[in-house]
Amino acid sequence: MYELLAQLAKYLIIGLLYYLLYNFLKIMIMDIREYDQEGPGYFLQTEEGKEIPLLKVTTIGRAVDSDIVIDDPYLSSKHALIYKKGNSLYIQDLKSTNGTFLNGVKIRKPVKLKENDVLVLGSKKYILKRRELNEPSD
Amino acid sequence: MSPQIENIYNKSAAVFAITGIVNFLLLSYFNKALGLGIFYSALIFLAVFFLCYIVNYKFIESSDTYLFIIPSLLVELGLTMLCRINPDLFKRQLLFYIAGSFLFIFSTLLTKYFIKKINSPMLFFILTFIFLLLPVLFGVERGGARNWILINGYFSFQPSEIAKLFYVFYLASNLREGRIEKLHRLVLEIFSIIVLLILTRDLGGAMLFYLTALFMIFIATSRYDYFLLGFIVIVLLGGASFYRMPYVRARVLAWLDPWQDVPGRGYQIAQSLFAIAQGGFFGTGLGLGHPDYIPAVATDFIFSAFTEEFGFLGGQALILLYFLLVYRGVRISLFSKDPYLSLISAGLTVFFGLQVFTIIGGVIKLIPVTGVTLPFMSYGGSSMVISFTAFGVLNGVWISTRREEVME
Repeated sequence: MYELLAQLAKYLIIGLLYYLLYNFLKIMIMDIREYDQEGPGYFLQTEEGKEIPLLKVTTIGRAVDSDIVIDDPYLSSKHALIYKKGNSLYIQDLKSTNGTFLNGVKIRKPVKLKENDVLVLGSKKYILKRRELNEPSD
Repeated sequence: MSPQIENIYNKSAAVFAITGIVNFLLLSYFNKALGLGIFYSALIFLAVFFLCYIVNYKFIESSDTYLFIIPSLLVELGLTMLCRINPDLFKRQLLFYIAGSFLFIFSTLLTKYFIKKINSPMLFFILTFIFLLLPVLFGVERGGARNWILINGYFSFQPSEIAKLFYVFYLASNLREGRIEKLHRLVLEIFSIIVLLILTRDLGGAMLFYLTALFMIFIATSRYDYFLLGFIVIVLLGGASFYRMPYVRARVLAWLDPWQDVPGRGYQIAQSLFAIAQGGFFGTGLGLGHPDYIPAVATDFIFSAFTEEFGFLGGQALILLYFLLVYRGVRISLFSKDPYLSLISAGLTVFFGLQVFTIIGGVIKLIPVTGVTLPFMSYGGSSMVISFTAFGVLNGVWISTRREEVME
């Protein structure tokens, strides 16, 4: 009798343990999503006045898996990367063919960005802007 | 906290309770001599858990409840095994859990208010040093290492466990600028701590303290040269101890080939491997294995006993639970903007992760066995209480990080 109960309990407990693990993994995934979506409040303004919001890590390029996909024949498939480190934003060129220009200067190392910087990627020009402080979403 | 996450937490707490009730009812049936006494103690355990759980997320703002649920789950599984192996140890461990869970809350609050105010490296170094010096002077030998202190001949504790916390604080306060100011002094201080541990023959502990320092220096300074140099030093020291210390030699040889001398040198590891193999995928079932064949089963080898009765799948779930805790610690460390807090949480996480790796790796013959406890599962008051305190500190760091974010 005890053997039978112990056998049943064993399957039940292993099942429960994995159910718990599944729940904790779900929390983990939700954390990571939340982290991803928390943008630094900066965005890029195109010449046409369109606004492109930036994430904590944003890749720009022609490839469809970039965070910002821009259809521009002068752009490389993975062209540049803008990321937040501490409280500042940095841009890094990803060895693109035509280069990334910050205020008219071609960048070679990751460079710190500030508001109203002018970026030239491929054939187009972008201006970095900061959104007016809204209510922080929690 | 979003309602969705709150919902998951509540569900997890419910599953936690069901697991406990099933396990302990079964054990009351298994151990007829104690009968329902076991079940009643389990109810006390669950009551303490729910009390602390509710305090944690109702009364402490933005507390990371996750850091309390998973350790409690590990304690629950550990208690199940202890109760099955030796009911006396089970009762004492239950008391340690109660102390530990209250200390979790206490250290959370303490960290929240005081952590930034005390950051003198000298103070923490002296505290670490004193706690490690105590066993050298008044230590009692247990299981090959002389790292126990007896008070009144009844109450005993391991000062090296307490030293662990101060040591992490010491390193964090020393490295918080992101660079090393006086390298020779830091190295001297770290090595004096290691020497104290070696004097008590706590070699597993010495390795953990050394590696924690190495990782924390790397995290703080991002210097590969220090890391590489430190790594070469530990390899050389390991090699030297293999030739100079017969105790280390026996352990390493037992690891390389336990089958050469199964009744002697390789006994521990061979029995541990037999037990794990006996379990298969789903295990033998609670109470149907033979943990009494494994030496030191309540402390170092509790993982093998658990794997025997709950199988490979159960053991794997345990490892994943530890992994999730480490992930959570890393996350807290990445979120904190203050380098001191970030380093404290990184250090505590590194220490915890290394300890789990060392002992689980030891019992499954991945690395040589060293006598460190499996946090939260092994029988042992000092280990349990200090592990809970360490997670309380992590929780406190998380809360103060969140508060700063809101104030920004």
